Amino acid sequence: MMDTSPGSREVDVAATINGMQVTHRVPARLLLSDFIRDVVGLTGTHVGCEHGYCGACTVIVDGDAIRSCSTLAVQADGSTIRTVEDLATDGDLTPMQQAFHENHAMQCGFCTAGFLMTLESVDPDDYREPEQVVDLLSGNLCRCTGYQNIVNAVCSVWEVERS
Amino acid sequence: MTLDSPTRINPMIRHRASHIGRAVPRREDRSPLMGRQRYIADLKLPGMLEVAFVRSPEAHARIVSIDTAPALALPGVHAVFTGADLADVDLFPHKILYIQPVRQPVLALDQVRYVGSPYAAVVATDRYVAEDAATLVAAYTEFEPLPTVADLDQALAENAPRLYDDWPDNYLVNFPAEKPEVTQAFEEADHTFSDTYVSQRQTGLPLECRGVLADVHDGYFTVWSSTQSPHIVRTTIAEMTGIPEPRIRVIAPAMGGGFGTKTHIYPEDVVMTWIAGKLGRPVRWLEDRFENLLTGVHARDQRHEVDVAYDDDGTIRAVRCKAICDVGSGEIFMPGTATVFVTGGCLTGGYDLPNMEVHHFCVVTNKTPSGAYRGFGVPEGMFVMERIIDRVARLTGTDPVEIRRRMILQEDQMPYEMHGGGRIDSGSHAKAFERAVEMIGESLELVRARYADDPDVRVGVGYTNYVEPTTPTYHLTTGFWAGGDSATIRVDPDGSVRVGLGTTALGQGTETTAAQLAAESLGLHPDDVTVVMGDTDRAPYGLGAWGSRSAIVMSGSILMAADRLITKARDIAAHLLEAAAEDVVLSDGNFHVSGSDAPTVSWSQVATSAWVRTLDLPRGMEPGLEMTGYFEPPELEHLPDMSGKVNAAASWSNGAHAGVVSVRISTGEIKIEDYVVVHDCGTMINPMIIDGQVHGGVAQGIAGAMYEHFQYDTETARPLFASFMEYLYPTCSEVPAMTVEHFETPSPEQPLGVKGCGEGGTIGPAAVVAGAVDDALADLGVEIKATPVTPSAIREAIREATAGGGER
Repeated sequence: MMDTSPGSREVDVAATINGMQVTHRVPARLLLSDFIRDVVGLTGTHVGCEHGYCGACTVIVDGDAIRSCSTLAVQADGSTIRTVEDLATDGDLTPMQQAFHENHAMQCGFCTAGFLMTLESVDPDDYREPEQVVDLLSGNLCRCTGYQNIVNAVCSVWEVERS
Repeated sequence: MTLDSPTRINPMIRHRASHIGRAVPRREDRSPLMGRQRYIADLKLPGMLEVAFVRSPEAHARIVSIDTAPALALPGVHAVFTGADLADVDLFPHKILYIQPVRQPVLALDQVRYVGSPYAAVVATDRYVAEDAATLVAAYTEFEPLPTVADLDQALAENAPRLYDDWPDNYLVNFPAEKPEVTQAFEEADHTFSDTYVSQRQTGLPLECRGVLADVHDGYFTVWSSTQSPHIVRTTIAEMTGIPEPRIRVIAPAMGGGFGTKTHIYPEDVVMTWIAGKLGRPVRWLEDRFENLLTGVHARDQRHEVDVAYDDDGTIRAVRCKAICDVGSGEIFMPGTATVFVTGGCLTGGYDLPNMEVHHFCVVTNKTPSGAYRGFGVPEGMFVMERIIDRVARLTGTDPVEIRRRMILQEDQMPYEMHGGGRIDSGSHAKAFERAVEMIGESLELVRARYADDPDVRVGVGYTNYVEPTTPTYHLTTGFWAGGDSATIRVDPDGSVRVGLGTTALGQGTETTAAQLAAESLGLHPDDVTVVMGDTDRAPYGLGAWGSRSAIVMSGSILMAADRLITKARDIAAHLLEAAAEDVVLSDGNFHVSGSDAPTVSWSQVATSAWVRTLDLPRGMEPGLEMTGYFEPPELEHLPDMSGKVNAAASWSNGAHAGVVSVRISTGEIKIEDYVVVHDCGTMINPMIIDGQVHGGVAQGIAGAMYEHFQYDTETARPLFASFMEYLYPTCSEVPAMTVEHFETPSPEQPLGVKGCGEGGTIGPAAVVAGAVDDALADLGVEIKATPVTPSAIREAIREATAGGGER
């Protein structure tokens, strides 16, 4: 008898993640966030709401910041994915990571990867006013910091003057 | 060993630079920045199965039957357990004698009392399959619906359906009060009024949901739980399962926030341990956000029916308050009953009110159980007090700042005893308020000028002066634990230090702060200190992180252990230096004879003698260089006296908040234009971390003041929320930039003068926002009486206030 249970259909997903070529046969319904975390084993991407709202699971797929919790792994087949693990080079923090540390722009750190990947996906030249930075960051939730120090960190790296 | 503990750094230590009061960068940041932090959801074990809980879709029903066969037939499903399978697990304990016993089972047996109540658990190869199977169990469960109670009015109505058949009514706590002096004040006052104020249901919602991973080897259990209190989780699991406590190790891994909601011992902590034991293999449950919204404790759901007696000149002579908390179904351990007592005990905030009488009630309804959330009853009370003050100011034509000046606590009133027995040992209440008034005054003028040409926009200012009880007793909350905590410090042969703490970390920067304290206490540098906590096998017993207690309990216990270490180390160093112990001092990590820089003996030499070259020790000395301090905060009381008074918090931080809002009359749109905080938590250990606590606290306070609201259908008691789409968790756009200043009024009682912080930020915003909106709309006669203050609430208030006078 054919197995028709919901998880039975499988697909091949091939992608480049952080410069590494991976191919896995996975259930067709597997979320991209679970693919990245559980199948590939990169757990720096976090799942905060599983309905595409909080932004903790933000990764960059073919240049765009997307919510990996509301994307199927199979949708990323053939794509190039970047996660938070790809930011620091040989243990050296990026200027934005360093600014998060210096500005105390993180407490529990659960949301941090999502913020960093959102920031990584855009061109800073498009965000010259503090209000634009606030708008950009409003797609990611943080419960600990009250956001003030996150805005400060971004403005310091992008040289945006806060009023 | 007596309970007397040192309150200051050992005077034999000569520091070049102090590590207390410095914004030491956080050691916790690097791993999360690089995506290498290990949260509960990042932990996996070989052979691990995953669990999904089956939760009630009904708010109130009898479980008639559960057919698990279809779920068990699903490929990948290993087991389905219902409450009946866990008959060998005790009911949750009942330890608070003055409340009705709830005694809920870990999985509901025959009756469910809120949507989300767990009644079965499915074990499967992965979470996807487990959730499929959980859906099947739910589909094959027959419920017999019972009448529901969705709010206080329904629960307290005559002939209301009862949640617990053996109770006479729906009161979980029923504590009326009567004070003759209050009655007299009402008779003598020029005027009185009565009003009702409401705080809505919301909660902490850390960005990381909960989770439990449990494993067993040879009867030895390891339980990873996203909890603020790993030792209490262990004690409770042991009590309920009968597993000896030393055979359970509870580890709280890196945590994605908690805010009080992870202090409770949830059914999943116990069920997962039981399943691991039953199946003999590791099992993991990761809560999803839907479950978290439904079953993580809720909070703040309080109604306050107040009578106020006041005079023509604006003097408030007495307040009588019936504080009624809707605690949901009450099926949570520890119970959600303590919050309303904190509301009552802190109702007067930073003010001196001559007479007060608070009646405390907790009422059960068919909603999610309520419990701990940052602020723990204080924000609700401050909202009431400031509303009362603003109303009296308005009724008597008194300036709202002036009326507060008359009432605010003065330095010469310290120590000050509050009506509930809280003893405030010191503070900067009046000074902080004046500074906040000054700071907000400048921006008020700027904002007024900005909107001067827009007749649709009004601008107003609001204030609050609160006290923040810290390091509270856990006895009134749990009926069992009290208030102490511990530190074990070991100096290793290389001279570096390992500190094990009974408190835990959930993102606040506790490791960094603890390293500063230990370095200061031992004459070392923070980089020499490694901090271990959140692990019952590696850290000494402690109650965990809640109630803004970590700063005080860490300071006290680290100082105690350090003092004992230094006493022993000095004896060893003196022996090595061939000097008298009383002549030996410690400068920058080296022991030497006072007045002479050489020769020196390092901590490493002392520790090497203590652990390795024990032949170098003074004759007869016990080897080793490890000491533990078990610290009981001075002044903290655990039981009320005969008059019902209790100083239930070891210390009382204080603060003043002020904010300017603009309100658009046509739409009710409200914007916080500026927000200032003047904060005083006594001696500051790490000002950067404290500022972070204030920022985050204010943001959560604003969430409660203006946005978040768990709403329920009044007919069915079913939740009207299922995601962040319906529950307005503030983003960066909603939280304004704020200015934070500090006073440092050291506690004369607590170690190092530390008072503790973490919750103060959350206390202020509801009172400030409501006050500012009233001020902005004063000429319309608007009075805000409930949170959240939303645009529709403002429009409604404008309509009500202007009814008869023609709506604008």
